[in-house]
Amino acid sequence: MSERVSERGDAPWRANGRRWTAVVMIVVVPALAGTLKEARADVTTECEFLEISAKVGDKPAIDPELSPVEKKLKKPPFSTWNQFKLLSHLQKPLAKKKAEPIPLKIGSATATLVEIVDKSKVRLTITMDDHKGKQVANNTATVEAGDYLIYVHGLPNNEGHLLSLTCK
Amino acid sequence: MSKPSTAKADLELMEHADGETEDAGIAARLERDPDARAKLESIQEIGELVRGHLELSADAAPDAKFAAMWRRIDDQLEAPATGLWSRVTRWFDRYRGHVITGAVSAGAVAALALILRPSVPDVGRYGAGGTVIDVRPVALRATPEIDALDTPGGTGTVINLDDDEDGHTTVIWVTPADTVEGI
Repeated sequence: MSERVSERGDAPWRANGRRWTAVVMIVVVPALAGTLKEARADVTTECEFLEISAKVGDKPAIDPELSPVEKKLKKPPFSTWNQFKLLSHLQKPLAKKKAEPIPLKIGSATATLVEIVDKSKVRLTITMDDHKGKQVANNTATVEAGDYLIYVHGLPNNEGHLLSLTCK
Repeated sequence: MSKPSTAKADLELMEHADGETEDAGIAARLERDPDARAKLESIQEIGELVRGHLELSADAAPDAKFAAMWRRIDDQLEAPATGLWSRVTRWFDRYRGHVITGAVSAGAVAALALILRPSVPDVGRYGAGGTVIDVRPVALRATPEIDALDTPGGTGTVINLDDDEDGHTTVIWVTPADTVEGI
C-alpha cells in the first residue's frame, strides 16, 4: 500500500497523531497534576474547642453554652465538680500537618491534624501548656469524628481546667 | 545574415530545448544564427514560466484534497475488503482525525471538570461549611486510640467513657506531680 510521507518521512496520520498527543500532554496532564496537588493540599477537619473551668460549689451550675457536653460533665469522673463555666469557645479548621494555635484563657494549646484515617477518624496531636508556659500534656490520639477528647488539668484548691474538643 | 526559419527547424529547436535531441547540426546552427539562439531562449523562458505556474498551482492545492486523492488511490490499489474487521479498520483509517479529535475533546472536558469541581480531600467528603469527614453512627464508631501521651511534670491517666447516644469520650486527666506528692 502506498502512503504519502511528510518532510520527516512519516505518514501524515502519524504526524497528526503526534500533534494531538502534544496537545493532550500540554492541556490534560498539567490540569490533572494541578487537581491532584490541590486535592492533597485541602485535607482539613473542623474542630470545636471548649475551654472550661470546673470547681465545687454550693449549687450545681453548668453554663448553657456547655450543653453539648453537659451530659458528660454530670457523670464521673467530672462529677468531682458541680460547677462548670465556659472560659472560651473556638471552632477551627485544621489543615493536615499544620499546628494551629488554640488561644486559651488559662495557658495555651496547639492542635495538629496528623491525618484522616479510614474516612471517619482523625489523628490529632494536642499540646497543652499551663499559664506559666509549662507543658501540661502532649498527646496524639485517633478518634472518630463526633467523639470527644477532654483534657483535664488539676489545679490547686480542687479546681480543674478542662479542654474539650470534637472534630467533624 | 540569418537563414529564414522553417517550421521543421523551429520544431527541432523545441526538441533541443526540451533535451529530446542533441543533433550536432542544431548546435552548429545555434553557433552561427543569432535568430535561432533568440528563439531557443524564448522557448526556454516559456517552458520555465509554464513549469513555475504548475508548481505554484500544485503547492496551492489544499492538503485535504490531496489526502482525499491519496485515499482514493489507496482504495483503488487495495484489494476490496470483505471482512468486518477490515471494514472497521478502513473506517477508522478514514475517520482517524475525527476519532482523535473526539478523544482529545473528551479528555479536555474531563480535565476541566476536574479543575472546576469543588476541591475534594484525598479522604472524606466536602460539605457546605468546608471539608468534613464522615461522621459514623455511634454504634459503628471505633474505640479511640492513644498513640502517644507525654505529661511532663505530672501523671497522665486515660479514661474511656462510652455512651450509647453520645459516642466515645476519651478523658486525658493530668495530675500535677506536686499534687500527687501531696496526697
